[in-house]
Amino acid sequence: MKEQKTELVRKDFWSIEPADLYRSLETSEGGLSEQEAERRLKTYGYNELPRQTAGWAQVFIRQLKNPIFIILVVASIVAGFFSQLEQSISILSMIALSVILGFYNEYKAEKIVENLRKSVSFKAVVSRGGKPSEIDSMMVVPGDVVSVYVGDIIPADIRLVDSKELQVNESVLTGESFPVEKIPDKMELKNPSSQEMTNYLFMGTVVANGSGRGVVVSTGRHTEFGSISKSLMRLHPETEFQKGIKNYGTMLFTLTIALSIGIFVVNALVGHPLIDSLLFSLAVAIGLVPELMPAIVTISLSQGAGRMSKVRVIVKRLVSIEDFGNMDVLCTDKTGTLTQGKILLHDYHSFDEVKEPRLLTYSLLCNNAIVGEKIAGSPMDVAIWNYALENKKQEDISSYTKVDDVPFDYRRRIMSTVVSKDGKYILISKGAPESIIPRCTYVEIKGNHEPIGTVLESINNKISDLSKLGYRVLVVACRSVDYKESYSAKDEEGLTMLGFLVFTDPVKKDVHQVLANLKEMGVDVKIVTGDNELVAKKICEDINVPVKRIVLGSELTQMSSAEIKKAVEEVTIFARITPEQKLDVIKALRDNGHVVGFIGDGVNDAPALYEADVGISVDTAVDVAKDAADIVLLEKDLKVLSDGIKEGRKVFGNTTKYILMGTSSNFGNMFSAAAASVFLPFLPMLPMQILFMNLLYDIANMTLPTDNVDEEDIRLPKHWDIGFVRKFTLFFGPFSSLYDFLTFGIMLFVFGASPALFQTGWFVESFWTEVLVIFVIRTGRVPFLSSRPGKWLTLLTLSCIVIGTIVPFTVVGKFLGFAPSLPAQYWVLLVLMVATYLLLVDAGKVFFYRICKLRGDD
Amino acid sequence: MYAELFTWWAISISCGIVFLIVVSIYLYMSRKVGKDASQQNGPGRLVKDFFFVWVLLGLLVLYIVSISMGSAVLFAAGNILFEAILIIYLIRNRVKSQRRLNNKHP
Repeated sequence: MKEQKTELVRKDFWSIEPADLYRSLETSEGGLSEQEAERRLKTYGYNELPRQTAGWAQVFIRQLKNPIFIILVVASIVAGFFSQLEQSISILSMIALSVILGFYNEYKAEKIVENLRKSVSFKAVVSRGGKPSEIDSMMVVPGDVVSVYVGDIIPADIRLVDSKELQVNESVLTGESFPVEKIPDKMELKNPSSQEMTNYLFMGTVVANGSGRGVVVSTGRHTEFGSISKSLMRLHPETEFQKGIKNYGTMLFTLTIALSIGIFVVNALVGHPLIDSLLFSLAVAIGLVPELMPAIVTISLSQGAGRMSKVRVIVKRLVSIEDFGNMDVLCTDKTGTLTQGKILLHDYHSFDEVKEPRLLTYSLLCNNAIVGEKIAGSPMDVAIWNYALENKKQEDISSYTKVDDVPFDYRRRIMSTVVSKDGKYILISKGAPESIIPRCTYVEIKGNHEPIGTVLESINNKISDLSKLGYRVLVVACRSVDYKESYSAKDEEGLTMLGFLVFTDPVKKDVHQVLANLKEMGVDVKIVTGDNELVAKKICEDINVPVKRIVLGSELTQMSSAEIKKAVEEVTIFARITPEQKLDVIKALRDNGHVVGFIGDGVNDAPALYEADVGISVDTAVDVAKDAADIVLLEKDLKVLSDGIKEGRKVFGNTTKYILMGTSSNFGNMFSAAAASVFLPFLPMLPMQILFMNLLYDIANMTLPTDNVDEEDIRLPKHWDIGFVRKFTLFFGPFSSLYDFLTFGIMLFVFGASPALFQTGWFVESFWTEVLVIFVIRTGRVPFLSSRPGKWLTLLTLSCIVIGTIVPFTVVGKFLGFAPSLPAQYWVLLVLMVATYLLLVDAGKVFFYRICKLRGDD
Repeated sequence: MYAELFTWWAISISCGIVFLIVVSIYLYMSRKVGKDASQQNGPGRLVKDFFFVWVLLGLLVLYIVSISMGSAVLFAAGNILFEAILIIYLIRNRVKSQRRLNNKHP
């Protein structure tokens, strides 16, 4: 349904009386009629947020955005043009295979998350034609009168007209975990911020206590929630891995073009027939291109995604797995990520720090929670009950009889209960310190009633200290009263303060271990929170994260980009941070070369989830955060993070192996072919033979994604390093070429080989060295002895060796232009030569990795 | 049959080895130097570190000589000798690496 109208005429609904509100929105207390609601639905559209849904076409196009595809497509077209139809078809099949694989896996992953998202849609209680009914929140329109109750997710932006002890948790918008009170009174403020709008309920926030009724003023993208999600409607930044692959593709493209042209020109100049020279240079170009690269990457990624889903981690964007593994900085929100996101009674004690049992008993008596199968009510009352039930203290209240209540209201911020025991009547009051302390005359210290004035400063300091540490404090007070029919707020005078109730949003149990694991894995954790610095610091202490430096949002505003870039390296906690500043922090870290992960679950986290290399969210997160995330943890258990990181590192390790092999042994072979073609009176290998070898080599590599990865390759984050790839190619490429030239020498000067014999001998040698060196290059350790290859890689590679050794001497071999046999003596020399080559490459590895420390593993 | 190509071939393979040695020197010069590097410098260290280069040079001589003589036997025997040398080097190195790994992860 197309949206025709985007804005309501007036916006200052907070400052008008309910009657004016109904008039402005052309509605009434009984709500809209069904017909009018339908009309408005057509006018304003569905009450939903724009989402980054990936359609099949988008996912498909994503598979093609790769320079290697362009090289392959061009190569296949040229091959087809020059009557090399078989090669053209085989290359196109490779492209199709990898595109289908990538598309299937990525689209499947998108659908899983899409379904997940659908399962979290919610309902709203709306009055239509004077009758309340439950409808899908998507159908809510401006002017609807909506009722909300404890646990409800607010379906749209609503101006309250009525409320009863209504408290709303707005942490998804503001990051603040403690609920805020909401009252229908009109506000006189001119341009209040969303936090100041006490008569507004915002879409996506949750009712923590009480109930309320109000009129919908905006829906969908026009809500506060929607305005944040709008900033997400931009392209996801390219990940470090994507950039690396792109650079690699460009480097390869340049190299292939240059070499192919060079080979063609030189071959033509030395007198080889033009068409032979062209086909040969084309075959060398195809041999150089690691056409399986996209397939290997996608298979590695999708297999990693499959393994991760077994530990209940959904990968939305496959490419993010590699960055997940290479992530070296994890920025995390506090509420709901490091903390449980629910309020618990942390402690209760008298002014003189005595854990006075009466304090808990009185808190249970002066309590509005409804205790049934579940405990419902104000989060703090629920927390008191949970504490009592867990510690079996609830029976202490059985000897009391409840006489009357003085309900809580937001003006006095106190609730009181009158109870009787043994013929005596006691008024118990519980409430915010600033409200209840002025009503106290005495404070109980060691069982004595002391005038409160003597210790007032100490009491205030204590409350202030606790608040600074992130605790929420309530004060409990009491006094003896005479019996009467009913009691009122006027009786809340001359009280004796009994002590404090201290509430907290505790850290998750496993966080400490998870963070220790991450540190061991080389991932630096930074806390980026909207909370104050003391709360964040306390959390760090609780979870053993050493705090190097704290920066506040206000300080960040004063800093230049360069200063932010410098600061992000030293800072552990970013406190009082706005969602926009979260972006600045992540951008600065990325600019400094870090691979940055961000974990969060609120609306205010969503932009940062997009900006990070890896956005991680949880199943219980708001839709918009899950939408923005690359990875969704189905269980709010952070332990799976380290499993996911290891998986990512395995994928990166196996992808890198393919690249290293492609650019060293493969490149070496093709370089030899090119060089030999210059001084030999015939082509060192026929184009069809090169392509046949290339095909077998690719098949051998197909199982690389299943290969084992050495422990040192997953111990620390690795970064895509094109410089390393270049050094690796420069060093290991010549080994392969040397042995190719050695084979040329043996074939020419020992066996006086004919062109066909020469080509056959070199084909077998070249194929053996190219394929067997996989076992040496795949690890920095001693092959087989201290690093075992995956069983499928071993099986397939050895099978390919057998095929590559037998086929040249079959009918197919004859068709490909091979000699009918090789001298027996050559086979002996070949085995010895290949063995020396593999040992020499392994010795070269000692030099490259251990002596030159080029991987930094040792 | 292709005797006139031998010089080209010998030059090519020698150039390949020279290129590899130049790359090795470049990598060695730009390596990350450890804390105890000052104590480890010296000709002894260079001989050890460039072990594979000495093997490579030895192999070059073997290959050029054996192929110029057209002797498959010399070629085979020489290969076996160098393989034995490389195996000893790699085993000794593996023991060292294992010891270092054990020290890192007790």
